Amino acid sequence: MRCGSGIEARQVDELFINIDPIQAGGRLTADAMKAVIAYGDGYSVCDNCRKPNRLDYIAKPPIAEFHKDLATWLNMDSARVVPGARRGFQAVAHTCVKKGDPVLLTSLSHYTEFLAVEEAGGVACEIPANDGHIVTADAAAATIENAKRRYGRAPVLAFIDHVDYQYGNVHDVQGIAKVAHQYDIPVLCNGAYTVGIMPVDGKDLSADFVVGSGHKSMAAPAPSGVLATTAEREKEVFRTTTISGDLTGRKFGIKEPELMGCTLMGVTLMGMMASFLHVKERVKHFENELANNRIVTESLLSIHGTKVLSEYPRKHPLTRVDTTGSFDTVAQTHKKRGFFFSGSLVENGVHGIIPGATRIWKFNTYGMTTVQAHHLAKVFVTIAEENGLKIS
Amino acid sequence: MVFAAMYSLTDLRVLLRETAPSHEMDAGQRGEAQRLLENLERQVGSLKQEMLK
Repeated sequence: MRCGSGIEARQVDELFINIDPIQAGGRLTADAMKAVIAYGDGYSVCDNCRKPNRLDYIAKPPIAEFHKDLATWLNMDSARVVPGARRGFQAVAHTCVKKGDPVLLTSLSHYTEFLAVEEAGGVACEIPANDGHIVTADAAAATIENAKRRYGRAPVLAFIDHVDYQYGNVHDVQGIAKVAHQYDIPVLCNGAYTVGIMPVDGKDLSADFVVGSGHKSMAAPAPSGVLATTAEREKEVFRTTTISGDLTGRKFGIKEPELMGCTLMGVTLMGMMASFLHVKERVKHFENELANNRIVTESLLSIHGTKVLSEYPRKHPLTRVDTTGSFDTVAQTHKKRGFFFSGSLVENGVHGIIPGATRIWKFNTYGMTTVQAHHLAKVFVTIAEENGLKIS
Repeated sequence: MVFAAMYSLTDLRVLLRETAPSHEMDAGQRGEAQRLLENLERQVGSLKQEMLK
């Protein structure tokens, strides 16, 4: 089945349980798929764009209302949609950071946060995670003091991951923000793995900015995301254009330079909007997701030699495991080497593990049904038994 | 009518996702699949009448 020259129809999620760590939260809802069908044409949301000609003012479809709802839902004062969380990082870094400014990141920060700082001319100051791979307020305080000694001034911005991409651990954004604010450092909470997955309250976290990813965690097409902020900070990051043409004298209304004007003008935004009601509902049932993760994680831990490297018990369904002492021992002598594991998973209807990985790897159980969680749990144990590993 | 048919197919697609990889359905899912397929047949029938008349 092809959907164009050389483009096979993608059926991963129809044929398999997909545990790819970055794909689980971005799977579309039925309503988002329907919106994709209806709004696939380029500038499809612009049919009723009227003055002042800005995306977040469009009333039909209800894009203006969606922006207000997004801000309210995150308990922030203002929100804009952006083409992915990274563009939110970029807008904030470009607003707050000047050449040579120190900026707080963490030893678990995503590379796009580093790139946003680099592009703005800033210098990275990483807060080290502790032995349990958690970033704490105490470590943040020490890193700020180190930066002050080294650069003669406090960092100008802090990027703190609510849940990091490496371990899926939950970090103390609230505690870190409290420390950062004592030094007048604004805090960006990177909610790429939390906004749309579990409840996020920006004010409760004391965040100056909350960034979320539509395609990672809000059941939306890529690239999509949200940047929300406080009434104080919106004047800075959502400032409007002041430039005019020296020849024509043209001005550009109330376009926002950090967003390059309008952002998501078609299918990405409509997919995000179509999923929004479902996303708002699903975060209220996050406990069910942890219960499904527990079914799978406990089955993995029943295989002798397997370790969970993420904090345990799990507080998020993205989980990092070490199977050096179990599946990797099989790979040492198996004729398919490490590919026996990913191959066996696919044969049993499971997709999303890096082919060949048998040592340290990640999976995400988000969005699966309990029946699917039990299937996945059974598959791991079955593969282990078939290859002579001990089960307790 | 085209959208209605595609949306019925979309709901069937989601059902396939929810039941992957075995696609074994419980009674509720089977009933939903039947309802969607009957809708789809009606919608395709209407399309035939409208487009080929």
